[in-house]
Amino acid sequence: MRLKKALIVMLSIMIVVVMAACSKSNDKSNSSPSSSAPASSSSSTEPSASESASPSDTGLDHSKTLKLTVFSTTANYAGPQIGWFAKAIKDKFNIELDIVASNLTGGDTKIAAMMASGDMGDIVIWGDDKNNYPNAIKGGLLLDLTKDGLLDTYGKDIVGKYPKAIEKAKIAFGSGNAVYGIGNNVASNPSGPSEGKDMTWGPDLRWDLYQQVGAPEINTPSDYLPVLKKMQELEPKNANGKKTYAFSLWSDWDGNYKMTLAKQFANMYGYDEIVDTALYTKADEEKYYDFLSDESWYMKSLKLYFDANQMGLLDPDSLTQKFDDVVAKYKDGRLLFSWFPWLGAANYNTEENKAAGKGFQTVPFNEEVMYSTGFNVYGGNGIISIGAKAKDPKRVMEFINWMYTPEGAMLSAGSGTAVPNGPKGLTWDIGADGKPMITDFGIKAFADQQNTKIPEEFGGGDFYYGQNQMNFSFVVPAEVNPETNEPYDHNLWETSLKLNPSKLESSWREKYGVLTAKEYFVKNNKIAVAPQGFTGKEPLVMDKTLEQKNKLIGTVIQQYSWKMVYAKNEDQYNKIKQEMLDKVKGLGYDEVIAFSIKKAEELYEARKSVK
Amino acid sequence: MALPTTPIENPKSFGASKRWTLPNKYKLFLMALPFLVTTFIFYYLPISGWIYAFYDFTPGIPLSDTPYVGLKWFKSIAQNQTQMEEVLRVLKNTVAMSTLGIITSVFPVAFAILLSEIKSSWFRKIVQTLTTIPNFISWILVYALAFTLFSVDNGVVNTILIKLGFIDEGINFLATNSNIWLTMIAWYWWKSLGWGAILYLAAITGIDQELYEAAEVDGANRFRKIWHITVPGIIPTFFVLLVLSIGNFINNGVDQYFAFQNAMNKDSIEVLDLYVYNIAFANNFPFATAVSMLKSVVSVMLLFMANTLSKVVRGESII
Repeated sequence: MRLKKALIVMLSIMIVVVMAACSKSNDKSNSSPSSSAPASSSSSTEPSASESASPSDTGLDHSKTLKLTVFSTTANYAGPQIGWFAKAIKDKFNIELDIVASNLTGGDTKIAAMMASGDMGDIVIWGDDKNNYPNAIKGGLLLDLTKDGLLDTYGKDIVGKYPKAIEKAKIAFGSGNAVYGIGNNVASNPSGPSEGKDMTWGPDLRWDLYQQVGAPEINTPSDYLPVLKKMQELEPKNANGKKTYAFSLWSDWDGNYKMTLAKQFANMYGYDEIVDTALYTKADEEKYYDFLSDESWYMKSLKLYFDANQMGLLDPDSLTQKFDDVVAKYKDGRLLFSWFPWLGAANYNTEENKAAGKGFQTVPFNEEVMYSTGFNVYGGNGIISIGAKAKDPKRVMEFINWMYTPEGAMLSAGSGTAVPNGPKGLTWDIGADGKPMITDFGIKAFADQQNTKIPEEFGGGDFYYGQNQMNFSFVVPAEVNPETNEPYDHNLWETSLKLNPSKLESSWREKYGVLTAKEYFVKNNKIAVAPQGFTGKEPLVMDKTLEQKNKLIGTVIQQYSWKMVYAKNEDQYNKIKQEMLDKVKGLGYDEVIAFSIKKAEELYEARKSVK
Repeated sequence: MALPTTPIENPKSFGASKRWTLPNKYKLFLMALPFLVTTFIFYYLPISGWIYAFYDFTPGIPLSDTPYVGLKWFKSIAQNQTQMEEVLRVLKNTVAMSTLGIITSVFPVAFAILLSEIKSSWFRKIVQTLTTIPNFISWILVYALAFTLFSVDNGVVNTILIKLGFIDEGINFLATNSNIWLTMIAWYWWKSLGWGAILYLAAITGIDQELYEAAEVDGANRFRKIWHITVPGIIPTFFVLLVLSIGNFINNGVDQYFAFQNAMNKDSIEVLDLYVYNIAFANNFPFATAVSMLKSVVSVMLLFMANTLSKVVRGESII
């Protein structure tokens, strides 16, 4: 009886509560549109008032910690941003970043899943502006930065200094007036190679061993093999008694149509792929070749690795290991060849090794014509966007804007492609003569990034993981800082170039008669600079059916590329190659080529815009 | 309002009247309701996603803005020779893996019987725990374990084999196509043998002990008892699971094959689920949906066939 009464009471209470909740939420939904309008207008007038007082201060309230989810398709680190970069932005903006990296969680799969979910996080970083980025715009997943004057009020420095980047965003992706994202590696001056001290590619060899085998002349990439073999014979095992190899590949970066490590020699011949198509095109000429043709350096690279494998120069775990395993092998001194300065040299050239004359240095081949990305006033194809459901777009915009200012660039220009400068007063400072210089701590930190502990007041942790892990380069590091009249990149500072060279560096400089790898390529006219233009039209995209074919073909090429490299003998190699060619043809390769050629023509047109 | 109005004869003696109770059938229904709702949400609601098969759907863009394409994606499964061959290859792998799975589904039965015959209870418990634990490890971690064990360069197995002088150079166990089906089924049972035996152990516990005693009186030895009492005792359980696994014939799951796939073994490891995953999440949802729709239809057909077979052969059916 009592139970029943209690039940009735409870039931009635529940009904009341539910009704109340309903009516409350009704109120809320009724009032929110009306109340939000004045709120936004008041907040946009407020900062403009304070702007007149101090232009750099946007007048936003930073008292509340803003936790941002950064979905990055380029990041190689997932989790909360830590270390010195985290500390810098926490102090400046009271912002914390949590990074979601599609590279570590299924690649394209993760991107598709995020897009399908309808919420891409607060900041979205796109590795390129093909397919996914325009689709996200169409799907309303990204915020229009021109809305409510967001860009004009909180993105002043971008608008003021890089107007072309905004122009491209509007015309190419925003139907003329909306801005859904801003390009990476933006520059304000349009000529010459945009790289820093090193180029993007080498190739680099273990300099000490190369000297010991007599530094033979190298004309073509295949000439490296016998040299590397001799080097391997000289040092068959590293200090810990583990086997050395010339090449160690990894497959977890595969995607976009290719086995990632089979395109680098094409780049060293001045060609680069057009993303998601089947063509490689010359940097400074209207020339291209088919990805799978015999003249293609993709196919020639597969053959090169196949030969390397036959000679015992290729790490047998290449197919099953991950990128981090390879980095560890470079650190342990188990590898003798590096495609990129940021891979071999960055991991093996410690102060200790360099002093002993050991380390990776660029050893170009005579036919080499280095592909170089020119300065790009329109911004690169990497894009940073704000998600449509971002928590506090004003503060997010303010933060992104800051990354494009000299202050932000001096902290972390070149994230992902170059070693950033780090916090002022720790790794670098402005000298008495007003010129930037690296501190002693900085020298140590840049050389041995993972083992250099950062003091607690600068955020703690080590230098490497403390970097901006979004892996997005806002301003091109070679851009000149108006405040110091020197580039942002510390490697290019006058004080750095004059710094005591190690035994390794002096040996290399002596041989080539130049200070840096970039100087070598420029001086010897072995460089092909690709002008970074823009057609002024919306980019061509594949239709759905062709896209499916293209993807299928891409997976087939990836799979067969590896099989060819690890083929047992020449006959098997040729058999697998033929099998691949037949298969992709059956899947519609010709149609993909036809589209690719149109894409190449589009590129040539774009280049004319900056000539 | 849906509640039945129980007539209240005398409003004055409201408290003293017969206590009103919810009829039993509603009580039972209410008890089952949460599960019905869950089933509906997780098994029936997703069927509405089949609609994507008829559109040129791209993630991020609402369906209302995408063009309707009819049966285009169904037709595209077999639109040309090469693609047909791809699908056949994938089907071959699926059938092979499932057949192997069904053939080897006697393993947990045998394991459960052997386990129940162990006299020492602490030892039995340890064995059971150790064999059940792997079931809770994800396939990605299993692969990490496999890499440390079997990598050429630093793998434990290769190092041992080389140190003992059996081989001169490391064998690449992971990047190979030979015996890949057997390897996969071996990994599968390593992970799920203990777990699979649990149901049979329960069935064995349910067998009447008097049967064993009677058999002992009749002079049956241990093997006789197993063969004539234990085995017939768990056969019904085995058949139920068998019929269900036939219904799941073309659902091999993704995880295991996803973790272990690489360029060398992809040809033989790509089962239907993985193929759909690889293609769809490489940006083609409509195509993947079309394939999985067909899959569901085939699954239902297989299940009913197996059930009918069971009815004819054993005179019992499970549905």
